[in-house]
Amino acid sequence: MLALRTGAHPFSRHLTATMPMPMRPVPALPVVGSFARRLLAEDLPDLPAARRREAVTFVARRVDTLPSFTRFGVLAIGLLFRTLIAVPGGWSGAAVLMRLPLPFVGEYPRLIRSLAFAYVWEHWPATTSTGACA
Amino acid sequence: MIAQVASVSMDADVLVIGSGAGGATTAAVLAEAGLDVLIVEEGAWVEQGSVTPFSLDQMDRQYRSGGVTVALGLPSIAYTEGRCAGGGTEVNSGLYWRPPGELLERWQHDFRIDDFDPDEVLSICDEVETEINVRAVPGPFTAPSEMLRRGAAALQWQHAEVPRWMTYPHGNDPTKGERQSMTRTYLPRAVAAGARLVVGCRIDRLEVAAGRATRAATTLSDGRTGSITFRHVFVCGGAIQSPALLQRSGVHGRIGRTLAVHPTVKLAARFADELNVPDDVPVLQVKEFAPHLSFGGSASNPGLIALSLLDQWPTFRRAITDWQRMSVYYAAITSEGGGRVRSVPNMRDPIVTYRLTHRDRELLRSGLARLALLMLEAGAEEVFPSFRGAPAVRTRRDLADMQDAFRATRATVMTVHLCSTVPMGGVEARCGTDSFGLVRGCRNIFVNDASLLPTAPGVNPQASVMAFAIRNARRFAATGGSHG
Repeated sequence: MLALRTGAHPFSRHLTATMPMPMRPVPALPVVGSFARRLLAEDLPDLPAARRREAVTFVARRVDTLPSFTRFGVLAIGLLFRTLIAVPGGWSGAAVLMRLPLPFVGEYPRLIRSLAFAYVWEHWPATTSTGACA
Repeated sequence: MIAQVASVSMDADVLVIGSGAGGATTAAVLAEAGLDVLIVEEGAWVEQGSVTPFSLDQMDRQYRSGGVTVALGLPSIAYTEGRCAGGGTEVNSGLYWRPPGELLERWQHDFRIDDFDPDEVLSICDEVETEINVRAVPGPFTAPSEMLRRGAAALQWQHAEVPRWMTYPHGNDPTKGERQSMTRTYLPRAVAAGARLVVGCRIDRLEVAAGRATRAATTLSDGRTGSITFRHVFVCGGAIQSPALLQRSGVHGRIGRTLAVHPTVKLAARFADELNVPDDVPVLQVKEFAPHLSFGGSASNPGLIALSLLDQWPTFRRAITDWQRMSVYYAAITSEGGGRVRSVPNMRDPIVTYRLTHRDRELLRSGLARLALLMLEAGAEEVFPSFRGAPAVRTRRDLADMQDAFRATRATVMTVHLCSTVPMGGVEARCGTDSFGLVRGCRNIFVNDASLLPTAPGVNPQASVMAFAIRNARRFAATGGSHG
């Protein structure tokens, strides 16, 4: 659950309704990890397992640094996808969801894919289109 | 490194928040005028040359949120912000465009900017160009630039080399320039004149009472909180962070309501021979349809080539192994849409939104088609537009199919030019500050960065930002902060 860190602040008497109160971070890996692994397995089936793990770790690390509202939205949509793919046959449902022109929902797989692809080809530029080491 | 580590309690006559094109120039002018200046930067000092340009490592170390920031909308627009000493000047492409004279006149007229002499602004541009060494690249263009030139020449479209603020101490290799960013120019000048620069210090908010700010609440990079006392403050955090800070501080009015950007769409072009330059961008731009539409080249390392293909990965994936024969190009438009920056209670970062108009979407469509044509004329074997459902383009006949398939909502739309969130001028209904950056309703809070530009300039805004900041800082120094 997302929780707020609270506490007295030296300027508290002047605080307005827009006081920034940092959220305690929820690690992204448990939320986005399974989807990112599956997406990479589909897109780059020959990517070695160690590289896939490394790329997924990078994706989660980047999601952890997203601006707060974006991160909240990404994790909410990520939770939806994680739940969906956890049930038998769920990946087919996720694939359908990815193809629908739904605002924001459709951007989640694009975000995961773009972070992972950028990592893979920056670190191993000789990777083939299936993920194999050239 | 000329930066110091921030401490819990600091004070200054003038606090400058942010060290990019606006903050560094402001600090230099004020320190050289004899004022006690403290520059506070949220990011770190990163030595130039210690990171590979346009790499993920650079995104981690010098960009806000690792370079993954987005203006929500249909489509959402990805943008980037520098977050390091020197701000965006450390990470951008180093291309330099003066603000067009007619644009300055339009700004002056439409926004009723007092004592605003376009000739004075252009004269400041002269100074800036000397200070940051604006010049053409030595030697021949890189191959990705040459492709733009070749395509434009074949179509008889106007094109030009955009000068850069670079030195080339190692000979004529155009990819080996050293950018004369703020950490090389105005920040050392400011420090030499007595300013202090501290890094790793975020300003959470300003304490404002009766229109006067007296203290800033800070969070240091090690998590400690603190405060800075001051007499005057210049907010120079860029077009997103400056309005967000003001809103968090309870300053509203015309703040954050008029975000302007140059939306861009991209494609990857594959040629017969190797041409990829992984760590530099082309200096040639095609201006046949400017200011509404411009074409240029983007960073094209293998990771970014992969990004340009992923919207249509099932059919475009085959191209990735040819990345050395590929380069990424963009079509940028001047948008009639608009965006907002909103601080939200209990959120550290603001929510940024942007709405493209119908005209914008159509311009992106026609822009991408013209860019594809430009690449074909340059000799591209195949062109891969970056939107879902895009067909590969091999001949002119494919262009119509591409245009038919294009939807802005399916495209990867990006921008690197953000401005106009606190426009300056005398029109109270439109301007967040007066004609010199003083925030309306406040007595000692100034904005002096890209937020002030009345509209998106249609060209790289850095020169405009620097010229405005120097003009306003000089006015402040001359009047002691009193415009009355």
